[in-house]
Parts: sequence; structure tokens; C-alpha cells
Amino acid sequence: MHAQVASNGAAARIVQHTLDNGLRLVTAPAATGQVAAVNLWYGVGSRHEVPGKTGFAHLFEHLMFQGSGGVAKGEHFDAIERLGGEMNASTSTDRTNYFETVPEHALDLALWLEADRLATLREGMSQEVLDNQRDVVKNERRQRYDNAPYGTALERILRLGYPEGHPYHHPTIGSMADLDAADLDYVLSFHRLHYGPDNLVLTVVSDLDPADVRERAERYFGAIPARTEVPTAPDAALQGPIGGPVRETVVEAVPAAGVFQGYRVDPYGERGFDAMHLASAVLGQGQGSRLYRRLVIERELAAPGDSADIIPFRYTPSLMLVNTIAREGVGGDELEQAVLEETATLAEGITEEELDRARAILERDHLQAISTPSGLADELGACTQLFGDPSLAYTWPDRWTGITAEEVAEAAGRLLVAENRLTVRFDPENAEQSAETAA
Amino acid sequence: MSQLQPRPVLGAPKPYTFPEHTRLTVGGGDIVAIDVPGQKYASIRLVQPFGGLSDPADRKGVAMLTAESLEDGVQGDNSLAPALERHGADWICYATWDGFVTGVDAPTTRISDATALFAEAVRGPALRDEDVLRRREQLLEGFWLEASRPGRLAMRAIGSQLFSGRYATPISGAPVALQGVEPEMVREFHAGTVAAAAGTLVVVGDLSGVDLEGLGRTVFGDTARTAFPEPVAPAPAAGDLPRVLLLDRPGSVQSALILAQRAPSRAEIDLPRAEGMSEVLGGMFTSRLNQKLREELGYTYGVGSRFDLRRDSGVFLVSTQVDTPTTAPSLTAALEEIRRFKADGATEGELAAVRQANTVGLPVTYSNARSLAHALVEMVVHDLPADHVDRLRAGYEALTAEDLRSAAEDYLDPAEMAVIAVGDAASLKDPLSEAGFGQVDVRDPENLWN
Repeated sequence: MHAQVASNGAAARIVQHTLDNGLRLVTAPAATGQVAAVNLWYGVGSRHEVPGKTGFAHLFEHLMFQGSGGVAKGEHFDAIERLGGEMNASTSTDRTNYFETVPEHALDLALWLEADRLATLREGMSQEVLDNQRDVVKNERRQRYDNAPYGTALERILRLGYPEGHPYHHPTIGSMADLDAADLDYVLSFHRLHYGPDNLVLTVVSDLDPADVRERAERYFGAIPARTEVPTAPDAALQGPIGGPVRETVVEAVPAAGVFQGYRVDPYGERGFDAMHLASAVLGQGQGSRLYRRLVIERELAAPGDSADIIPFRYTPSLMLVNTIAREGVGGDELEQAVLEETATLAEGITEEELDRARAILERDHLQAISTPSGLADELGACTQLFGDPSLAYTWPDRWTGITAEEVAEAAGRLLVAENRLTVRFDPENAEQSAETAA
Repeated sequence: MSQLQPRPVLGAPKPYTFPEHTRLTVGGGDIVAIDVPGQKYASIRLVQPFGGLSDPADRKGVAMLTAESLEDGVQGDNSLAPALERHGADWICYATWDGFVTGVDAPTTRISDATALFAEAVRGPALRDEDVLRRREQLLEGFWLEASRPGRLAMRAIGSQLFSGRYATPISGAPVALQGVEPEMVREFHAGTVAAAAGTLVVVGDLSGVDLEGLGRTVFGDTARTAFPEPVAPAPAAGDLPRVLLLDRPGSVQSALILAQRAPSRAEIDLPRAEGMSEVLGGMFTSRLNQKLREELGYTYGVGSRFDLRRDSGVFLVSTQVDTPTTAPSLTAALEEIRRFKADGATEGELAAVRQANTVGLPVTYSNARSLAHALVEMVVHDLPADHVDRLRAGYEALTAEDLRSAAEDYLDPAEMAVIAVGDAASLKDPLSEAGFGQVDVRDPENLWN
């Protein structure tokens, strides 16, 4: 069986080239004309952070917009925005990603801006800039974590899922204390250690001739020297289950009980990961999933929404998450028990129909992700940085066609067990009161 | 090896024209389609003239509840979404104030099957009592789940501060009015509107081998042509402006802050002037408000401004989330930026940014099927001409700095604004009162819509 939408030979039109300084360039055609999507994947993320420096890779990402040798503070945003371009950046455990989509004639400007901050960021850095962006990031943390209901769930999940000192033990946002402690010298050394063309995949999706794009990439990035010293990433090797069941209970001002469960699964890119990705779709993605059917529709215990997915970690076991929020009047214990029962049914078997639906929605999500020039560039960069093969961006859905229902059920039976489980439970402060109101 | 390069001087952009679209009439309905060769994931939308504004006064939320209930399909019991999922298709269904929009995003290879499923679900859903009641409860609870996020709660409260009538209640009818909407009312609403009116079908994607007329026959059947109702301007909310509504969220370490003002409708507003002004003030990353509150003061992760334009009226709003102690100073700083804009207008640099962003940037805006489909849906809802994107582009090309200043003059007036703050009232009440913007009214969000 083949994936629903053939890649139409698109994979054959990818061109790769490595510059002398180690920069890996990937080009591919865009589906609509007159645009160029530029995407940079640097091989540095929060997994490179050491204790006391959590949140640094992400804070650093902010500083990359604050000016460099040839670009003033604010000028990067201004230059792209006034062309109607779109741009942003993001940091994960495994990489830091910068991107801009611009009208085609502005490709050189995007490349130049990126090259300038890669080569000369340290010339634009100052204590004032660092202090300002530290405040911005602390407000980002408040907005996304501290002031949002269930906002600290991920932080707690990672703490339970990976041991103290492990590079995936903390979230990319970092702690307030570590953010406060960030100093300028460390900013400068971080750039020197991690930001070199030899640690970069540059992807350009456009209608331009690949040779033309290559010539431009050479022009803007060719003179930037590779790093002289390449740091070793902290050891993320980890074997076996979580050592569970482990749990943390939080009582705070949330609107309803929340049950967040995690299980260690294989690293992203391995076949075992794909099997569990399918398992998560069968269990909790889409309205045809088991948890939706049983807990949202039939038993009316959980609020509607997708409930299962995997956080993809390339260099350590990934985490499959099963997250549900209780309906009004439903206690956390009842919901938690119901989720466990439903999760356990995967090991008893999966029908072909369920597996087909799971493949179809994972493929749908993948196709949607690569349906924009920017999304395609991101996926090409990801596949090159993580797996050395950009064509996977088009062929990824084929991976799911060869996995059988038995294989998914076997993996679920082996991994979705108490000794590999973490649970973070949120209970509302006035739990009894809200149960009464609902009654 | 080459040297580091100087900043490049860009050549002229290629002129952009919005992709040509095909229009055809099938029975009582119209089809508007854009062929995007190579785009194998298509977007299909049916636009009908029945948004939240069509709710009868005693059934607020019925349009939204109907939209939600369609998901239960022709057999009921949540049968539609799983069926579409098996085709790798995504069900789209929402009510805006003006329109009722349904559709699917689907691989072009599955477009006929997915459209057939979608059409029967739109025209002949089961709408069983138990399904509608379940959806209603989910909407009611979902309202408070969502409103537990301060930014969302502040957004939901805007209507009640600016308008009386339908807009004073959130579009879903939650948290109170929806409780009285019964399954029978949903069936009645559906039969009189969504089931009977043809509407306009928007199709965007690689259309090679796609039978548009066949899709039209499937979706329109023997339904009748229906027009959007003539707009009637809504009445303002009772009470004096300016004022501050402070919704208490004890212990919040941040406050959500919104400044909102009534604006003209989509048809009445001069869009390039209005949106150009908003972009300079708060719409872009490099906007004055973001530079001030984020990049200079570090009070926030970000701030934005925009117009929310409907057929009968509009709203201008500035929104942000700020560190609790900086809430009142953020309000003062935002008002100062508004005052400065009205007095001094935009710079030539800001004017150039707005003009270029909305002209040479169009290929970026319309670089995928979803954004193209969205533009077509807007065109249908607001009766815009086929070349409206190109006309808009021409409007931006002709924009002057004086246009932006006069837009601030026309559309921004702090004396006509309502401020909504969601945060820790004990810490915020005094500083907000002392800011001197207007009377501060502290409310428990749970009672706001009673």
C-alpha cells in the first residue's frame, strides 16, 4: 500500500550541496510562485544546556534578533516586515530554527541578514539588549507557563520523565532563576561554540534555479569560517522504562481536573517511534480515536480534543503523552482510571480499520505541514539536520504503510505499562465545591 | 573565498496579480475556484449567509450549536468526523457573526468522496436530541475552560463593553443564553437556513482532473439561492465611555489587557488607511506599541492591534499580556502612543513599510491553499468584487502619510474606548484607577453575562 498522495517526483527535484565551511544547503521547488522560504536549522537546543543555564538556548534565539555587526537592533524584523515577509524562530530540545518567507526578489536580503548574525552577532550584543530580552522571555514564561491553566504541565512531565542532570530533564523555557543569572560573557561564548556554518542546515524553497540559489548561498555564507572548537553535547543516553509509576499532584486554580500521562518510547526516527506514533493516533488523535469515542462521547468524562501525541526527541527516548481534562463534576481519579483502562486496550489488538484511519490522519497532518513553502522548508531542514536525508520530507508517510496492527499492539503492550508511566495530576483548588455545583 | 558581503540592494519585485479564479453557477449555487498546480491538498468551503447575527433574540448561540452539531453526521452519534478522518480529510465548520462556513481540507485524490460526505452532513444531519444536548454541554463547559486563559476571557468580554443586542453575548451563546437553546430549536434553525440555502462553494488546490460542476451538483442539489441580509448598525452598550472593566483573576502574575473601540463596518471603512494605521500602531512586530512595551520596556512577550470587521459594524482592538505590576503603566504607555500617532501621524519610513508589506508581500500572504480559500470566503461574505485583492493592492500603493494620520484621527479615540483587564484585582484596582483613564469596575467573570 502506498501513501495517498504521491510526491509527484518532487523529491527528485531536491538539490543538496555542502559548502567548504561545512554549511549544508538544501533547495527545493515551491508550489506557488514569486516567494522564497528560507529556513535555518542550527544543531543546538536546550539539550546542550548545563545545570544553572537552563533556558539559555531559547534566550539566545531572542538575542539573534537584537542586532549584529551590520544590522541594528530591530532592523532584522523591520527589513523583512516591510517586504510583507513572515519570519520567526523557535527553540526545541534538539535544535534552534530561524526562518523567513519573502517575495522572491528579496531572497538575497534574507540570506544576508542570516549570514550577518551568524558571522557577527557578538558585535551587536550589549548588556542593555540582554536585560531587555531577559524581561521579554520572563514574560513569555509567565504567559505560556505560569499564568496559564495547566501551563506548568510540560515542565513537570519532563522532570518526571528524565532523571536529574539529564539534558531533557528541563523545558526549553528554563527557570526564572537561571534566566536572571544569564550574563553577557556566556552569551558571547554560546555564539562562538554553537553558531558556525558547520552546525547549520540552510534550506531555500523557491522557483529559482538551484544553481542560482547555491551561488547566492556561497556569496553570503562562504566567507564565514567553521567553528574551531566543537562542543560535545551532554550525554543523553538512557535505557529502559521510566521506573514508574511516578506521579506529581498539583492543586491550583484550574477549571477542571487534568490528567497528564507520559511514557518513554523510542527516539524520533526509529521504527519503534513510528509504531507508537500510530498507537497514539489510534488512542487519542481525531474524533475516531478510542479515547474520544469512549471518554468524550460515550462516557462523557473528558473534554473534547486530541489527547495523545509524541514529543519527538532525536537523541534520547521520546515521550508519548496522553492528556485529558475532566468534564464538569467528574473527579480526577475517575478520569485517570478511565484513561488507564482505555490505554490498556491497545495491547489487546488494533483493527485494520483503526490503523488505516491512524495512517490517514498522520499523513493528513504531514501534508498540511508541508503545504506552505515555509512548512516545506522547515521539514526539509529537519530531515537533513536530524537524518541527513531531505527527501524524507516527502516520503515520510511511507514509513507508516509498512507497520502492521500486530506491531503497534505489541509495542503498546510493552511500553504503555505502569513501570514506564509518569502522571501529573492537576486538581482544582475547590474540587468539592465545583462537584457540588454540577450536581 | 569571498568576503562578507555588504547589504544587498534589491531589484524590483515582479508585479503580483491574485490568481485568476473560475466562477460558475450550478443550480442555485455559485462556485469560485482557484487552480494551484502541484497543491495536492485542497481546501473546500461552503459559505452561507447565516452567522451568529441570524440567531433569534431568544436563541442566542443556535448558529454555533448547529455548526457543532453537524459534526455528529447523518447517523448522529459523532459519525461524521471519523468517516472524514479515514479519507485523510479535515472537517471545517464554524459560524462567524456573518457567515456559516463548512467544508473539508482533503487530498485532491479524495476530493469527491470527502465532498460527498461533507455535503450530506451539511444538508441532512440527524441532529438527534442526545447529540445536540451533549454538544451544548461541551460548548458551555468549553467556554469556561477557554476563559481560564486570561487573554481569551478578555477577548470574550469585548462585545459586552461596546454593544448592546446580539454582540453583547459571545457568539456561542455561552455562558448563559445557550443554556436555553433546545435541540428542537437547532433543527428548526438548520431546516430554515443551512439545509435550504445553496450558498457559495470555494475550491482551492490542484484542480487537474477535478470535476467542479460535479462537486457543485453534490453540494447544491436542489437548494435555493439566498442573499446576505441587509446590515443594520448595532446599538452601543449602555453606560459611559471611557471605562475600565477589571475581571478578577486572583493571584495572576500577568494581566491580559485590551483596549477596544467601535469601528465602521467592512463596507464602510477605508481598508488600506485603517489597516495601514493599525499595522504601524500595533500590527507589525516593529509597530510602535511592540517596540515600546516589549523591546524598550520589557513589560510583555508581545502586543498586537487589529480591526475585526463585520457586515454591520466593526471593532478596533489592542491586546497584550503584561507583568502584573506593569499593568497600569502599560495602559498609560499604550494611550500615549495612540495620542502621539493622532498628533504626529506616521513617518515616511512607516508609510513605506505599510505600502510595501501589503503590495510586494502578497505572494507570501497567498502562498498556500488555505490562505487563498480564506481570501475567497471573505470575498463572498463581504460581497467583494472578483479583483478585490488587486484593488486593495492599488489602495496601498496610493497611500500617503497623511492618510495614516487621518485614519488615526478617524478611527482612534481614547474617549470612546473600553479597557478590559483580566488579572489580580487586589493589585490592579488602585493603579488602574490612578491611571485616570476612566471609572474602574471590578467584576467577577462568572457573573459578567448573567
